Amino acid sequence: MKNSLANRLWKIITSPSRMMLTVGAVIIMISLVRQYTGISDITSPGAAGATIRFTIPILMAGLGGLWAERSGVINIGLEGMMILGTWFGAWFGFLYGPWVGIFAGAIGGALAGILHAILTVRIGIDQAVSGLAINLLGMGTARFLSGVFFLGKGGDINISPQVNSIGTFTVPGLSPFLTEIGSKHILVISDVAGVCAGFITKINWASLVLILALPLTAWILWKTRFGLRMRFCGENPVAAESLGVNVYRTRYIALAVSGALAGLGGAYISVISTGNYLEGQTAGRGYIGLAAVIFGNWTPAGVLAGSVLFGLTDALRVRQSTSVHALLLVVITLALAYGVSKLRKKDWKGFIIGVVIGGVVLAYYLINKVVPDEFVTFFPNLTTILVLAFLSQRLRPPAMAGAPYRKGEESS
Amino acid sequence: MSVAIELKGIEKNYPGVVANHDVDITIAKGNIHAIIGENGAGKSTLMKILYGMVKPDAGTIAIFESPATIKSPQDAIGLGIGMVHQHFMLADNATVLENIVLGSEPMKAKVVVDYAKAREHLQSIIKTYGLDISPDDLVADLGVGVRQRVEIAKVLFRGAKILILDEPTAVLVPQEVDDLFKNLKGLTQNGLTIIFISHKLDEVMAIADSITVMRHGTTVANLVPAKTNKKELAEYMIGGELPSPRPATTKPREEKVLVVTNASANDRTGREILHSINLEIHAGEILGLAGVEGNGQSELIELIMGLVKPDSGSVVTVGLNTQDSTLREIRDHGVGYIPQDRQRDGLMMAATLWENRILGHQQTKPMSNGVWIDKGAAKADSERIIEEFDVRTPSNTVLANALSGGNQQKFIVGREMSGDPKMLIAAQPTRGVDVGAQAIIWDHLIEARLKGTGVLLVSADLDELFQLSDRIAVIFRGTIVDYLDPRKTTPEQLGLAMTGEKIA
Repeated sequence: MKNSLANRLWKIITSPSRMMLTVGAVIIMISLVRQYTGISDITSPGAAGATIRFTIPILMAGLGGLWAERSGVINIGLEGMMILGTWFGAWFGFLYGPWVGIFAGAIGGALAGILHAILTVRIGIDQAVSGLAINLLGMGTARFLSGVFFLGKGGDINISPQVNSIGTFTVPGLSPFLTEIGSKHILVISDVAGVCAGFITKINWASLVLILALPLTAWILWKTRFGLRMRFCGENPVAAESLGVNVYRTRYIALAVSGALAGLGGAYISVISTGNYLEGQTAGRGYIGLAAVIFGNWTPAGVLAGSVLFGLTDALRVRQSTSVHALLLVVITLALAYGVSKLRKKDWKGFIIGVVIGGVVLAYYLINKVVPDEFVTFFPNLTTILVLAFLSQRLRPPAMAGAPYRKGEESS
Repeated sequence: MSVAIELKGIEKNYPGVVANHDVDITIAKGNIHAIIGENGAGKSTLMKILYGMVKPDAGTIAIFESPATIKSPQDAIGLGIGMVHQHFMLADNATVLENIVLGSEPMKAKVVVDYAKAREHLQSIIKTYGLDISPDDLVADLGVGVRQRVEIAKVLFRGAKILILDEPTAVLVPQEVDDLFKNLKGLTQNGLTIIFISHKLDEVMAIADSITVMRHGTTVANLVPAKTNKKELAEYMIGGELPSPRPATTKPREEKVLVVTNASANDRTGREILHSINLEIHAGEILGLAGVEGNGQSELIELIMGLVKPDSGSVVTVGLNTQDSTLREIRDHGVGYIPQDRQRDGLMMAATLWENRILGHQQTKPMSNGVWIDKGAAKADSERIIEEFDVRTPSNTVLANALSGGNQQKFIVGREMSGDPKMLIAAQPTRGVDVGAQAIIWDHLIEARLKGTGVLLVSADLDELFQLSDRIAVIFRGTIVDYLDPRKTTPEQLGLAMTGEKIA
């Protein structure tokens, strides 16, 4: 009996409920930090809204990466596909309105995705090489097309003319109510209310439409025949082929969708976030999206979690760098908690790593009043490195992602 | 009695090789029919023909008494023929149910997989045939025996009436073999026909209703277990060609290069894979290790090299106790190793020959002076090997994968024998190489023996064991069951010993 109870407890701790517990703990921690430091922007509706705006492009890139890798092809070219998305989005948005722009961005990305498929699936070029080529191609193509089309239309070689904006919506009644509670500085309650208010205030319609890609991807992967076959193409293409699955065709479709999603992410940046195309405005979000895939252990929900994490740090950087300084307290707590949890298992190395990181960050926190902008900009990248370093052993990528596959050959 | 499969006059030629000729087999419905033969006897080719993976050059196939042409595995599945591959075709990161339905998914609403219906179908299969699997288990968590049942269920899910099992017991432990046999009996009671490919006589005698023996690509005998015995089967398998024992020219020396005393070892799951092994090799001796594959040979090699430490007993390799020596120390002390899988363990296929020459010697002179690789010395010594071992290559700067298998193997043998090792482990040194390369490798093994090297020769080629060995140790189910003198033993006796029978 005792054993089964312990088992059940263990299951609760290691199941989705554990996620909820962790999320809850982090919310309380952030709330305490907010209360202690008095920096209320951390959980304000404005910060939450900004997080959504920064999360969506990364989420789109991440889902794009998920489609590609689940089908067995690594897509380093997400960045290039996003760039094409920004350009196509801005230009067609300028000509025919923002919604057409977003659609065009998807088409631009999908074309690059199909190119990636031709290079890797059909010709058999190394997937990383092809991805890099697409990144370079994306950059070059965007600049070339800008020179051809933008000049004389109110743009320049690195900037497009302005695109009309898409409307936003706010849930009436509830939004002001939550915002009101959020401004009361009550521990936890105000924080949750503030964040929720951000989710329902001045939300762009495009955000709402694009976010549907997340449940749609999950549904396709786990419920449909195409999703099942796609996953097997990533796990064991030889087995899939032996059971009559057309691995090549599946990968073509998956990569086209992958490119389209990345293109949507790019179009969102140019059409919604800035209202025009700016050279270099994706700023590596394609790579961050790829990191979100790894962070999320190749699951849709995980990709969302990773995207929010990266989107959040991005948002804080733009809004108020004092927030980042305050959030160092969360980092310190997490590092120390990690160290102590290792201590219980007598893992001295883990303990020392946790304590040293916590200590160093604490010292930094006490000595400085603000975190320099350079570091804040670098913060998402650092988070990525740390997360990947600590989680890498638990990750379970599709077994054959990245491995070349030729029909009719036994894989090595 | 109705006939499930009738093969007549099947023939298949590959350039320069006759893989199958004059193959005649008749298999009754509801029977377990075993096809046995040595490696390379043509069993696999025949099954590939039956499963539509290879097209025969001549002959006719009839399935359930009507003529059939099988052009692809899809055709075969359509005719009710299912293949359970030796290497499982499963995805680890997916559930049992997902693995089984893939490719023939029941659907609802055109795009959605009807998992409920699939599960129902699978449950009825599990119940009818008594297969112990759970649809929602993750394949990654399953053992080999369960995975095999998943493969069988996969074939049954597609409505197979005839199952081909290609060496199904090669990867199983005895307990799992018993379970498999129970399952197979259950399948035939429900009217299924099973073709059972094997080279293990024990199992064939235990499970088969009828037996076909293949040798050199053709069927040499059709037998019933009740009217035959293992000795007769072994004779049919090996044929009348008895290799002539080779008189030893020198006596082994007193000095021992390997002393294994009462060593046992467990695998990672705690299962005992080697059981109180006692083994000695003298300098200047070739000890042959005979046994059906998968009886502990690979593990024994790892034990000797110090990759696996004994859980009890001791292993002293070239004077070093492996318990407190690293692989590096043992190798540097004079151990050469010719691995069984030369392309995976023996060479870097995409590197040049001279770079491959350095492999395993990258920290010792003359290949390296501690920090820097000595490219000149590596190239010079590669030339020596190419010369002495007759490696057919334009130069030492070509990539290893440009060489034929035999030449790759000669290069490995040359590398492992350089510096006159005290001990040489040769695992299947001539497998898959042509006759010329085989002769050269044999000559060098004999020469090494004369120079005082102690050689452990692990081989599935009985000829090779008889020609080269001073003594033959027989390994069976993880332990040495017998020592034989090749001058006083016949291949039949050796074959019997390999199946665990004591020679009277």
